[in-house]
Amino acid sequence: MNFTMLPFARPAVLSAALALLLTGCELFEFSPNDVRAPAAERDLTAKNLQRLLAQPKPTGGDTLRFVFTGDSQRFYDEVGPLVESVNRQRGISVLFVAGDISDFGLRREMQWINDRLRHLNVPYLTVIGNHDQVANGRQAYQQIFGPLNYTFTYDRTRFIFIDTNSREYGFNGRVPDIGWLRQQLADTVGVRRQIVVCHVPPTNEDFDPALIKPFTEALAQAPCLLFHLNGHATSFSIGEPYADGVTYINSFAFEKRQFVILTAWGTDQFKLEKVAF
Amino acid sequence: MRIFLLLGGFFSSMITALPATAQVPAGTAAPTRLVRRWYVPQHAVLQAAGGIGMVSGGVGYGLFRKRLEVDALAGYVPRRYAGREALGIFTFKTTYTPYTIPLRNAAWRLHPLSFGGLVNYTPSRTLNRSRDEKYYDGYYWWSSTVRFGAFVGGRVARQLKPSSNGQPREVSLYYELGTNDLYVVSLATNLSGLKVTDVLTLGVGGKFAF
Repeated sequence: MNFTMLPFARPAVLSAALALLLTGCELFEFSPNDVRAPAAERDLTAKNLQRLLAQPKPTGGDTLRFVFTGDSQRFYDEVGPLVESVNRQRGISVLFVAGDISDFGLRREMQWINDRLRHLNVPYLTVIGNHDQVANGRQAYQQIFGPLNYTFTYDRTRFIFIDTNSREYGFNGRVPDIGWLRQQLADTVGVRRQIVVCHVPPTNEDFDPALIKPFTEALAQAPCLLFHLNGHATSFSIGEPYADGVTYINSFAFEKRQFVILTAWGTDQFKLEKVAF
Repeated sequence: MRIFLLLGGFFSSMITALPATAQVPAGTAAPTRLVRRWYVPQHAVLQAAGGIGMVSGGVGYGLFRKRLEVDALAGYVPRRYAGREALGIFTFKTTYTPYTIPLRNAAWRLHPLSFGGLVNYTPSRTLNRSRDEKYYDGYYWWSSTVRFGAFVGGRVARQLKPSSNGQPREVSLYYELGTNDLYVVSLATNLSGLKVTDVLTLGVGGKFAF
């Protein structure tokens, strides 16, 4: 042993050991179904909302511009290019993921997505998908992201994120929570437009058949609904399936290597752009 | 990391205490050497993490001069780390340890390489099962309660004084770097998006062969 090396070697060895210990702690997994995550990777919805509400809006006037994506489930190769592409867009306030963040409902999958999406220049928000509810996924989602139903107002736009994954609850008649949705849609103080974001659309067989009518009626009667955003189908679509004035937009899944930019202005105007990455 | 201390404490106390307690009490007749019945386990295991419980414990058998070990373990993840309800995990595990390096102190042996596989079942009421009556066949292709895993690791063992009936005894500490079927599927389909370290798990434990 060369003793003159020791003063230099020691800090290197110590920091290597420390790094090993830290990664060791993350590898030290109790179960793929456990919900144990470091504080920095918990309550991401609340943290990202706080970031969104604190940042100055990058577009002027009543214009609001955001990225709409969905179904990131097990498409990790695509997340990096998506983040790079979104970071090159101008005037974006926020990015939405319309559910199915994970494929198997595992906590680590949600952390993998966050590890990559946190490199966005803008905050991102999610709604829970059906894949995020299998196994212990609902608990993991609540731990990593937060509430299953939540709402906030940004630029006088009321966003309502709602769990519509009825099949995961065995069509128990309580998901989606119609009463909660009606209540949120009725609260229009300081609101010029409303946007509903969910995973399973009412046109899909995984949506509780008994709740299709009350759900679509609530949307059709909403005072200033701009559109309904959902994922679940991996291909993009836009339409008015119930011919009741409500526009339903399905996101591109990450695997499609495309995303949508929505630009809203006025009370009922919007523009949709598709971006390939 | 209290768990490391607990495990360490448990096994170091075994190392020091067992040879003494194994002595035949004075005044009793020398015991006849008993042949162990085939179903009596040959070792006990206690493990921390490794995807099969915050702690898991069980028993097992050694085969082929103890190079192959087969263990059955029951694991536990407390409610705090499981969400709504604690998880129980039942694991069958087999470990192959091909090499033995004797150390200068004859009581110690190093097993630089172990590898093996496991299958486990998590029967929690709160686990949303991917194959129940909510879904039609094939809705989800995997089971959310049954996991398959594989691991590599190493081990250090110390021989103890044989038991009163002549059985050789040994205590050992091991580590395992592992993964499971769903992590492997995630990695295999995302070779540029995920790193091997993303899908690794670490477990440490000890065995007491009696």
